[in-house]
Parts: sequence; structure tokens; C-alpha cells
Amino acid sequence: MFDIRTSESGEIVLSGRFDAAQADKAKAVFDRLTVTTSVDFKDLVYVSSAGLGILMATQKRLRDKGHELKLKNVSGHIREVFKIARFDLIFEIE
Amino acid sequence: MSILRKNFKRHLDSLAEIFDLIDRVAKQEEVEDAARRAISLAVDELFTNMVKHDSRNPGDITVELQVEDETFLVRLIDRGAPPFDITKKPDPYLGASLDERKPGGLGIFLTKSVLDDVQYQYQDGTSTITLKKNLRKKNV
Repeated sequence: MFDIRTSESGEIVLSGRFDAAQADKAKAVFDRLTVTTSVDFKDLVYVSSAGLGILMATQKRLRDKGHELKLKNVSGHIREVFKIARFDLIFEIE
Repeated sequence: MSILRKNFKRHLDSLAEIFDLIDRVAKQEEVEDAARRAISLAVDELFTNMVKHDSRNPGDITVELQVEDETFLVRLIDRGAPPFDITKKPDPYLGASLDERKPGGLGIFLTKSVLDDVQYQYQDGTSTITLKKNLRKKNV
């Protein structure tokens, strides 16, 4: 079960499995972002390339306007996937 | 274990069912979490490609799972699909800056990165992708 919500402080909070079946739901939220935003991965158990693609496209769009996504609470195994995808080069991962 | 074979509708909604099946087999066969996650990611990426690149094909996609000794084997069998040898696809260049990075190609690269072997076979209009993940030796 995947969920994406915006916290009271404006953070994006992800939970569950972020795969291609969830891409439209997630994209609708990320597409609305216009300023620097933290994304909390604490309860996310899985991300596939479909999720990575949405994160990367959002990062490109925000960076063009002088803003960015910041990723936090990334678990060890998702961090492994980020490492393979070289997301360390394009994201600040807290 | 004997081969567990199941057909799935060619739709992204099938992913949840596929994850459940992999989780069930992994638990039953005492597969370690890292190997289970690697297999789940690889099957997700390849099944998603099969759905997206051949959406008009009404046929199901067959998934076979087998855990033997120190190996988790998965076969994805796609009938009537155009040939596409994923093992020949060049890796994306990931050292590029954000501006230069292109979408696409990441799924197959992740698949190859997290597994120990990926084989592709095309015969009589059927694509078969065989995925292999080595497992840690169990204590005896």
C-alpha cells in the first residue's frame, strides 16, 4: 500500500511501496511543488525506477527555478538503490 | 522447491500480487531480506517494461519462481512480444549532471546491478528473461 501526503510543515511524506502503479498518484503531488521541499522516506519500504524518475524530473524542474528536493530518513536498502542510480550526485540526502 | 508458476494480467495493478507472491515464497524458503528485495525490484522493473512496451498484447505474463540450494531463480515469460534483449541494452551514463541526465534506462540498469545473472532468450515469439540471485548458505 502506497501513500503520499503533505505534512502541516509542508514536507512530502511517503509510505509503502513506490512502484510504477503508484506513479500517477505521486506525480500529481510532486508536480504541484514550486519551492524547496523535504521528502520524508521514513515509512517508505521500496522504490523502483518509476519513483526515481519522478524524483529526478521534479528535481530538474525545481533546480531550474533555484529550488530543490531534499531527501531525509532514507533507509539503508533504499539508500543502496540511490547509490546505484547515483542519486547522491543530484540530491541532498540528509 | 518445485517451480511455482503463475500468470498475471498485463497491467501495473498486478505488481501488488507479484510482490505478495515473492514475499510468500521468500518467507517459506527462508530467503534473506536483501535477496528478496533484489528479486522484487528486478521483477517489478521488467514486468513494468513488459506492460508499458506491449500494452496492446492481450496475453498474460507468466512468472515462475524457484528457490534451489543457494539460488533464487525467476523467469518472466512473455508470449507474442517483440524481441528485446535487455542484456544488450547499454548502461545509462549516471555520472552526468542533473541537466544532462536523461530519463529511462534506469530500470534495466538497476535490475542488472542487484542480481547475479540475467539471461534473455527469444524463441517462437516468446521472450523469456531468467533472473538469478545467489543466496547465502543456510546453516546446516
